[in-house]
Amino acid sequence: MSEIFFRGGRTARRTTAVMAGSLTLMMLTACGGGSLGNAEGDDGATGSTDTVTVGLAVPQSGVYAGLGEDMTQGFELYLEQADNKLSGYDIEVVSADTGEGPQTAIPAVSRLIQQEQADVVTGIVSSATALGLRDTFVQAEIPLIIANAGADDITAEPSPYIWRTSYTNSEVSGAIGKHVAEEVGDGSVYLIAADYAAGQEHVNGFKEQFEAAGGKVAGETFTPFGSTSDWQPYLSKIRSSGASAVFAFYAGSEAANFVQQYSTFGLAEEAQLYGNGFIVEGDVLQAQGEAALGIQTSLNYSPTIDSEVNNKFVEAYVAAYDEVPTVYAMQSYDAAAAIEAALEAADSVDGPGIAAALSEVGEFENSPRGSWSFNENHDPDQNYYLREVQEVDGKLSNVVLREIQD
Amino acid sequence: MLAWFDANTATILNGLALGAVLFLIAVGLSLVFGTMDVLNLAHGAVSLMGAYVGVAMYGAAPTTGMFFLAMAIAAAVGFAAGGVLATMVSPVRNHLRQALLTLGMALIVAELLQEVFGPEVRSVPVPEFLSSTVSLMGNPYPVYRLAMVAAGIVVAVVLYIVLERTRAGAIVRATVADRAMVEAIGIRTKVVLALVFGGGAALAAVGGLLAAPILGAQPGLDDQILLLALVIVVIGGLGSLRGALLGALVVGQVQTIGVSVVNEFASFLLFAALAAVLLFRPQGLLPARKGAHV
Repeated sequence: MSEIFFRGGRTARRTTAVMAGSLTLMMLTACGGGSLGNAEGDDGATGSTDTVTVGLAVPQSGVYAGLGEDMTQGFELYLEQADNKLSGYDIEVVSADTGEGPQTAIPAVSRLIQQEQADVVTGIVSSATALGLRDTFVQAEIPLIIANAGADDITAEPSPYIWRTSYTNSEVSGAIGKHVAEEVGDGSVYLIAADYAAGQEHVNGFKEQFEAAGGKVAGETFTPFGSTSDWQPYLSKIRSSGASAVFAFYAGSEAANFVQQYSTFGLAEEAQLYGNGFIVEGDVLQAQGEAALGIQTSLNYSPTIDSEVNNKFVEAYVAAYDEVPTVYAMQSYDAAAAIEAALEAADSVDGPGIAAALSEVGEFENSPRGSWSFNENHDPDQNYYLREVQEVDGKLSNVVLREIQD
Repeated sequence: MLAWFDANTATILNGLALGAVLFLIAVGLSLVFGTMDVLNLAHGAVSLMGAYVGVAMYGAAPTTGMFFLAMAIAAAVGFAAGGVLATMVSPVRNHLRQALLTLGMALIVAELLQEVFGPEVRSVPVPEFLSSTVSLMGNPYPVYRLAMVAAGIVVAVVLYIVLERTRAGAIVRATVADRAMVEAIGIRTKVVLALVFGGGAALAAVGGLLAAPILGAQPGLDDQILLLALVIVVIGGLGSLRGALLGALVVGQVQTIGVSVVNEFASFLLFAALAAVLLFRPQGLLPARKGAHV
């Protein structure tokens, strides 16, 4: 229309330049996120041996803020249940906002180590952040207990200071491989995932186990991470590939949109959707609604695990926060348990002492996820569960079908 | 070739649907730029407000009445936001300062939306009367996306008629061409400009609402939308309605058929298209011409 509007010529060209500049500016701010962590408790650690300072490095802003909240709640629930004393030591929690990625996380966590003098740090949602901080912890001789980030590389070469209560990407996705191969039989499976390091690890982990069990891959697509909002072109490809099932890795808003569109375009009726638990975990599941029904996933936890320990955990969590615990809350809860066990076994409560003790803590029998222990890479040696999205009492839930046996 | 079209009909159609909704969002950005010479970087945030209107109003799938009511409310919210923005930027003449001012507003609005609606992704259901699917070459295709194409066509035609064939449109065009002369015949051009700003923002909010069942509503979506709208405006040509339409259609197809054909380059296609246009036709494909006609 409008030429109407227009002046053209030099102004237009100059404005194009301003627009280009603005685009750049916008992209920069989009990556921003804050690092406005607020410390709880007093500044600086006390030198007293009776107090242990625990750094809680979780995202309080940006796209992972929801995960950060779950992790904070899981950690605090454990402390509350223990009366804020782990193995006789008073626990002082100092938190830092890691934002969305390493550029906000690294200064925030450095503050925990240097200014707050944390004796041990837990949290860390993003794998990029974990990889970026790995050497910092090793050099500072402060143990880091990762409660979510799953990149295989973080623990590929074990360090006495790097521990993980969550999972490795290839393992959590590989867990469902054999099951899918058995279900599809002679059919083939299409693989689709977000195009970034974690997406690749999840798909490769799945493919390895799936092909080892005799499964056939129909095709493989990686979609641009963070900028894909319409999956129809990919869904058309999946349909024309003739795959009888699909393995997908997405998380957060991408998971919500993908699953909804998978159902809208009628694929849900043609090809069973499999994934690891993150495609239907937490708030995402409620956003997906009925579109998520029937999706089968593998994960190290589900709030529906029917054990005495888990039932108690879920009950206490619901009472405290009025929501069902997520895997993120559980992993953080277990990180607190690991700290307690380490303090129990430690000769000295400083970084090296706690780190040394972590290798002696043995089996965690009272975990909501079931019994687990640290393996030689300092990753959890744990059970995985096959879960299916079902409607229970009018609410969507990841119901455990069975434990996955190796 | 024919077989290729057969296999990709749904994808092409989908590009149209995406293009249509992007047009609704981008046209406001382009027109405001055209009339006021203001680059409104809060445009994506306004659009996200529209999506959250859907979140706030729909519980389950909305009824027809609810759906249109939500559209009216989104338009009103967008119009009000546009009016506020117009007032704020009117004393600011420098492009960079305008960009910083509106970007600052965008950040504030996005943070407020996150405070109110939470950081998690929220879904917006498709209205009941559009929730079915039709069979397209034997594959199901959602009616809602067809309705988006229709909505895009209606808005494009209505905007064209309003701007070219009505007295109000003539005043807007005259304001752009010669603001002092319009003032001289007794019309307050500041009001005209604020109305255009409000109208553009209202379209963005409605576009955000219509796109919500596909894109969802979550923090960060505003940046994605703004990025697409800016790319569309640059590809199509600044300040031109026809340019916004063409740009939206191009971006719609690039984002669908493009990623379907050359999947490995999906991340770069959009910017490759942008770079190609800037290289070979830096004024955009259909820039606004001088003088006052569409």
